[in-house]
Amino acid sequence: MDITGALYILFKILIFPGLLFAVVIGLFLAGLDRKLLARMQKRVGPPLRQPLFDFLKLLGKETIVPHAANKTVYLAAPVVGFTALIVLALFIPVFGYSTFSGNGDLIVILYLLTIPAVALIVGGSSSGSPYAGIGISREMVTMMSYELPLVVVLLTVARKVGGSALCFSLGDIVSWQAENGCLAFHPAMIPALLAMLLVIPAEVGTQPFDVAEAETEICEGPLIEYSGAPLAVFKLNTAVKMFIMTALFANLFFGGIETGYVALDAVIMVAICALVTFFSMTLIHAVTARLKIEHLFKFYWTVVAGLAALSLILVWVGL
Amino acid sequence: MSYVHFPVIAVMTLFMGAFLTVVLGKHSRAVRSFLAIAASGIAFVLIAMLVKPVLIDGEIISYWMGNWNPVNGYAIGIGYEVDQLGMFFALLVVSTILLSAVYSLRYIERDSSQEFYYVLFLMLSGSVLGLVLTGDVFNMFIMIEIMTFTAVGLTAFRNTGFGSVEAAFKYLVIGSIGSSFTLFGIAILYGQCHTLNMAQLSAMLSGNHSPATLMAFALMFTGLAVKSYIVPFHTPAADAYTTAPSSISMVFSGMVNKAGVYGIIRLVYIIFRTMDIPAVQTLMVIFGAVTMFIGVTMALAQHDFKRLLAFHSISQIGYVITAVGLCTSLGLTGGLFHAMNHTLFKGLLFLCAGAVLRATGTTNLDQLGGLSKKMPATTVCFLIGAFSISGLPPFNGFASKWLVYQAAYDKAVTTGNFLYVFVTIVALIVSVMTLASFIKVTQAAFFGQLPERLKDVEEVPFLMQLPMWIMSALCVLSGVFYNFVDKYLLVPAVSAALGVSRYIDSMMGSGYAAEKCVTDIQASGVHFSYWNPMVWLALFVIVLCAACLCILTSKGSRGEILEGDGEDGKYATFFSGEKALPSHVGGSDLFWGFKTDWKGYFNIMEGLHSGVVNDYALYVVAAAAIVVVFTFMFMR
Amino acid sequence: MLKNAIAKSMSRSPWIYHVNTGSCNGCDIELVAVLTPRYDAERFGFKLSGTPRHADIVVISGPVTTQSKDRLVRTLAQVPEPKVVVTLGSCPQSGNVFKGSYSVEAPVEKFVHVDVAIAGCTPKPEAVIAGLYKAAEILQKKREAMTK
Repeated sequence: MDITGALYILFKILIFPGLLFAVVIGLFLAGLDRKLLARMQKRVGPPLRQPLFDFLKLLGKETIVPHAANKTVYLAAPVVGFTALIVLALFIPVFGYSTFSGNGDLIVILYLLTIPAVALIVGGSSSGSPYAGIGISREMVTMMSYELPLVVVLLTVARKVGGSALCFSLGDIVSWQAENGCLAFHPAMIPALLAMLLVIPAEVGTQPFDVAEAETEICEGPLIEYSGAPLAVFKLNTAVKMFIMTALFANLFFGGIETGYVALDAVIMVAICALVTFFSMTLIHAVTARLKIEHLFKFYWTVVAGLAALSLILVWVGL
Repeated sequence: MSYVHFPVIAVMTLFMGAFLTVVLGKHSRAVRSFLAIAASGIAFVLIAMLVKPVLIDGEIISYWMGNWNPVNGYAIGIGYEVDQLGMFFALLVVSTILLSAVYSLRYIERDSSQEFYYVLFLMLSGSVLGLVLTGDVFNMFIMIEIMTFTAVGLTAFRNTGFGSVEAAFKYLVIGSIGSSFTLFGIAILYGQCHTLNMAQLSAMLSGNHSPATLMAFALMFTGLAVKSYIVPFHTPAADAYTTAPSSISMVFSGMVNKAGVYGIIRLVYIIFRTMDIPAVQTLMVIFGAVTMFIGVTMALAQHDFKRLLAFHSISQIGYVITAVGLCTSLGLTGGLFHAMNHTLFKGLLFLCAGAVLRATGTTNLDQLGGLSKKMPATTVCFLIGAFSISGLPPFNGFASKWLVYQAAYDKAVTTGNFLYVFVTIVALIVSVMTLASFIKVTQAAFFGQLPERLKDVEEVPFLMQLPMWIMSALCVLSGVFYNFVDKYLLVPAVSAALGVSRYIDSMMGSGYAAEKCVTDIQASGVHFSYWNPMVWLALFVIVLCAACLCILTSKGSRGEILEGDGEDGKYATFFSGEKALPSHVGGSDLFWGFKTDWKGYFNIMEGLHSGVVNDYALYVVAAAAIVVVFTFMFMR
Repeated sequence: MLKNAIAKSMSRSPWIYHVNTGSCNGCDIELVAVLTPRYDAERFGFKLSGTPRHADIVVISGPVTTQSKDRLVRTLAQVPEPKVVVTLGSCPQSGNVFKGSYSVEAPVEKFVHVDVAIAGCTPKPEAVIAGLYKAAEILQKKREAMTK
């Protein structure tokens, strides 16, 4: 590999569509979420840059490692989660443009998505607080809840795109949509689309599915003892996760809107991400109150999984 | 000395070691230890020396005991046949034996009657090694018998503790029923084919099933399924793994149930060559899916570290059986890889449980907590094992599970059979539940707050840590460099399992398979790649950047990282302003919402796992009846 | 540059942790009222946090009963630096109508350094916002002083 090739790869990893892009868009989406929520409640709301301020402020605060905590795990957990998210960002193409072509495997993405959650759980657990103990328990149950519909949605997409051949590659899914139209416009995929819209808030952990971090009942759950820079990274993780999930959604259901210009593609992508953020997170947040954990589990394994399964069956019979 | 003798010598060394331990090791601990390490070490070296001829050069070693060669095309002597599949499992077996022997040195030093421990241990090892290397079904049965009885003895080894004799009794009853089924099946086969050699049986039975041989198939399948503890034969395993010493639990999950899995693979792929019949695939996949689901949900309900691990052993074997039952080369690759990974990470986890037991005297998750500060090495090893078994990238569990999912869904889309979609979903969900139950152990035993009772806990000695570190390293390495594992271990093993005619020819003389019209099993090709090296570069760069960022911002601008004593209010755990009290969220407090929603299911499961051996025996017989009926209905 | 950005962010994203030390609940309601659509303190980045570890501004309401004194001190110690302490209402400053009671420890200045005091029984939401905004500015100054 020559030097320009290496630099190009490095550019892809660090700037676009890797680290910097994911972080900036993630923070933008998080800010947009807060702003839109405020507007829906007839408030002025924080500025769009608010998540950035929060992040910088937390960087400047002290980091207190509680006596009961295991220091190494406690400090390493957020960084591990962040790394996994950035690797994930490399796997998710901006329509046709991706860092590693042909490698965006759905199952790998599914598993990489669990790493940030596991990092949060292990980090919270290592802090030694009983509130965190309850929090991680709820986080884990939340994870089990949304995993079933998410899996079914992914398998549905794989079947729809692949037909009678195995197709788990996100790149293939996008190029299939470029030829046959977005999956969102196939009637059989509509239930899966709705299921995915409901999976996103639980994966990101916004109200009403933020049972794990319920700040009014269990004092932010796993994050209770975190302060300063590690907390900043955790908050950043949530923001990046917003981008990852919405971008995944965009690729799964609105893939293939390729204009040929990468910059324009990126803008369209971000627009779709913002729309998805609005419908799946802000809207639901504004009109609902937090669920109880057992209701959350039931909701995901019946309603959402039911929607996804309906789609799978429709696709399976050839619609 | 030619290497064709090595397999037999390896098995004999282990049995000789057992014998010498009885004779010489009664009074001296040093002699016992030496004999155990020497025997397992020699066996390891001998098998390792076969790697080049068998796995790399692709040779199949056939060896007739006492030089009793076949006469007129009939095998009359006992034959050892080491093909790549047997070699793959033999490698797992000898590694497990060696690591377990090293761990045992310190682990059982406080127990009485240690000479019996080593005798039984070496006999168990020898029998499992013999089982995977032999080419003779009756010899296989004998090895199964030795395996069962030594395992029963070892289960009851710590008979001062609660329930070990009961566990041994259950094991004895269920194990004997399984052995009887196997023996019955072998007897029918001998009556039909007048031979006991696997290769010859395979040549005679291929595509040539009479009702009698179908009966034999059903019985032998059930018998071997009992040995691999798939649901509903799993009941003795949970008790036995819990009460046996951890070094033995590791051996049980690392090689004893692998012996059963090996037996099943050998049975369906080679001896009966029935794997391309869809009914057999359905049978195995259903067994596998049920096993992994029931195993993992039962594990979620457990409060005992080792019992939880035991149920996970059952669950992971479900993955292996499912993958193997798909009868695609991708599935077989995934299944064998997962079997290997299961040996590594489950062995590791059992050793961690053993370390916790030795240090604290209990494995009850409700009484543990905060051990990570006292036992850092064990914690790291445990986390590696837990992440591996939960299938987080880049550990080995991910690589193999990924193959299993891909194989299952591949099967689903190519055959259009919805059953396989269902199996894929179950497999994916089971993986999350596995993660959940290991989070439970992590929180309950290693993190959280240290109970007053455990203030003086110490890390285990180095000799116990050594096997744990080796296995952790292997877990990481086989996940990261899965390409090498695939190339040198899995591909040869898979082609051996599918290449029936080669197996027959190398034992019975070339051309024998063609004469009997035996063809190889056709399976779709392997195609997979989940990361390329570029991703590693990317990961490296990102980590480097993160590290740089941390260093750059550490001076001045970033807030300081402070640590302090719990007496200082600043570093105490936040208790809503109260003075921090010892309060730990233990194992049984976790996953409340999940357990509430599943109450009905758990109640049924609790009723089924009654602990009454009569019930368990009934399950075995009932399942055997179902298998027989299924065989006669769908396989004719 | 990063140092400046961080210092600036301090005043723009102050997270509040609220400690009730035996208040009659009047001030607490007003504090919550500050976050409602009518007053919307979130436009300045104010946010209620659930744990002292995340907090920048600790708001104390109530006359500090004897029972709550230790808890208050302990909670304040757990807030990472830089932090600002704000008293809400007259009670923490003077004891208000509870003054002289055997179980009241007010004024809070006796054992806690107070940066901003918002007077009133109860203070109007506008006053609360003004006080909190001042606290945010003090937070930035504290941070600048820390890194000098």
